[in-house]
Amino acid sequence: MWQQIELALRQSAHRVLVKLASFFPGLIALLLAVVILTAIGAGLAILLRRVLTAAKFDERLAHNAIAPISDWSPANSPTALIARVAFWACFLIGCFIGISAFDAAYPGDSQISNIIIPYLTHSIGAVLLLIAGTVIARFLERSVLIGAVNAKLQYARILSMGIKWLVLVLTAAMVLDHLQIGGTVVELAFGILFGGIVLTLALAVGLGSRDIVSRSLERSADLRSTIDPIPGDPDYRPATPSETLRHF
Amino acid sequence: MATTQTPADLASASGPVSPGSLLISLVPLQQDAFDTTLSNLALAFPGETVLVATPDAAPQSSSGSPLRLISYALTAVSATPWVLTAADFLNTYKLAQENRASACVLLGAEAQSLHPEAIRALARSAQQADLTLAHYDMGPREGLVNSAILYPVTRALFSTRPRYPLAIDLGLSLRMAERLAAAAQRFTAAGQNDAILWPLDEAASVNYSIAEVEVGPRTFLQPVSADINSLLAQIASSLFADIDAKAAFWQRARGIQPTPPITQTTPITDPPDIAAMLEAFRLAYANLHDIWSLVLPPNSLLGLKKLSLMQPENFRMPDNLWARIVYDFILAFRLRTINRGHLLGALTPLYLAWVASHLILVSSGTLPEKHIQDLAIAFETDKPYLVSRWRWPDRFNP
Repeated sequence: MWQQIELALRQSAHRVLVKLASFFPGLIALLLAVVILTAIGAGLAILLRRVLTAAKFDERLAHNAIAPISDWSPANSPTALIARVAFWACFLIGCFIGISAFDAAYPGDSQISNIIIPYLTHSIGAVLLLIAGTVIARFLERSVLIGAVNAKLQYARILSMGIKWLVLVLTAAMVLDHLQIGGTVVELAFGILFGGIVLTLALAVGLGSRDIVSRSLERSADLRSTIDPIPGDPDYRPATPSETLRHF
Repeated sequence: MATTQTPADLASASGPVSPGSLLISLVPLQQDAFDTTLSNLALAFPGETVLVATPDAAPQSSSGSPLRLISYALTAVSATPWVLTAADFLNTYKLAQENRASACVLLGAEAQSLHPEAIRALARSAQQADLTLAHYDMGPREGLVNSAILYPVTRALFSTRPRYPLAIDLGLSLRMAERLAAAAQRFTAAGQNDAILWPLDEAASVNYSIAEVEVGPRTFLQPVSADINSLLAQIASSLFADIDAKAAFWQRARGIQPTPPITQTTPITDPPDIAAMLEAFRLAYANLHDIWSLVLPPNSLLGLKKLSLMQPENFRMPDNLWARIVYDFILAFRLRTINRGHLLGALTPLYLAWVASHLILVSSGTLPEKHIQDLAIAFETDKPYLVSRWRWPDRFNP
């Protein structure tokens, strides 16, 4: 009896050690690939930055290009953009190589290989989706806010917040769907949330517009009352040519 | 408006033209406007041989006429006919080169409203100075973007005097025309024929001689779109980009321009309707504060807060606050603190607040031109701030 227990424990410990022995090299290979490629990326970015700065790349581009690449660069210059692209490209390549190495450490029919590897790939996709969704949400929020304020809409902030949360909810649903978390619950929750936000926006805009419409009607009624009197009427006042503003 | 054309497109002039003649370049005009312009040109240059380039169908001038008409083919219609564009400068230089003209005069839209004396003055000046800009007689409610941003910024940064940097009637020496054509070529090569150029900045940056000529009143073609947001964004982004490109020059440029004699302009008779502009500003203050706080330092935000609490009759934006706001927007444009479209959209309500403040001040008896000159001085005084932050944008800025 005791011998059988001991044997079973020894066999399970052996299996754990075998799994660990095959897992750690794969993990170390993944980490090594990511670290090495990230270091190469950082080095390449520094090199590119120095070379392009020495070659006055930004100034040349500003002189020669009309729709400069710098419009797309984050805060600084085309040089910074190129350096960052090089760095992140190396990092992504490192991730792919690492995942391949991790995958190679396992036999094809391994459970870990079948579950973890696709999940890692999906996770990277989900992170990219999340970043893109957040950036788009903030961009649209500001666009709508500024456009609505310049159009003198009183409910500009509500509108912009609504747009932002619409995009964020959509992003969150896509990320969860991509990670295969939640299943139909996510779809259902997304539908309810999305519909709720749209309904809220419709109500907010509709109720806000009620005042605008009534003011517009009042204004046109006032206008008609000043236009209707004809010369000779006691209410008649000759129209004074009002100077309009000319901004240009 | 004219775009790139080849010498093959040129119709031959009605007679031999001596080298060194003056070239007058016109933009597309209605038939009656074109006829009036030709009459004015004939009156402006009696007995002189003048080349007149037009994209309209040029009638055959009589053998005794001093005007030699050159027509060129239009390949595209300009979306911004109310201002001179890159294609206009490029065409003018090509025509001047083809016909060996010594100087050029560009007349913008509605050129028929220019007095012959004014055209003659532009032409005379073009033969002496590299760049001649027209100085228009405008009412207190006209050319407000020019008064609020274009003139004070250009004067302060480039140390120049002309009052209308975006003048649509210009006199150019051949070398100035060549320089502008080179600048225009970069835009037209990228298919941006309607890009706006800044001749005054261009001339100042290479130390070419600059002159200004009084042309009196003139009719201006107004932009088709009445949307101030897009128009302000278009003009301001073009100016800010030009400032960015010429930073190496204007950071070195020194000198305070003497204030020109202030002329009496037509006073405002009826009180201006500023309620809509103040409402736009207050709405923006309530909603855009977060975006402004990315661009403006706390001191400017405090100034805007005080402004948002002012009663309409006392509404007054200090000149130094407006100068600081414009400079901070130029810096944010350069640093791309936020998306440039958003940045310029956030400038519109502030500009409207300045317009409201200006109109209230003018209606209270202040001469419009005096206020504009005071504003220009405020921009000149605050220029070291822009230079400092341009060089060290991360330095502490209260």
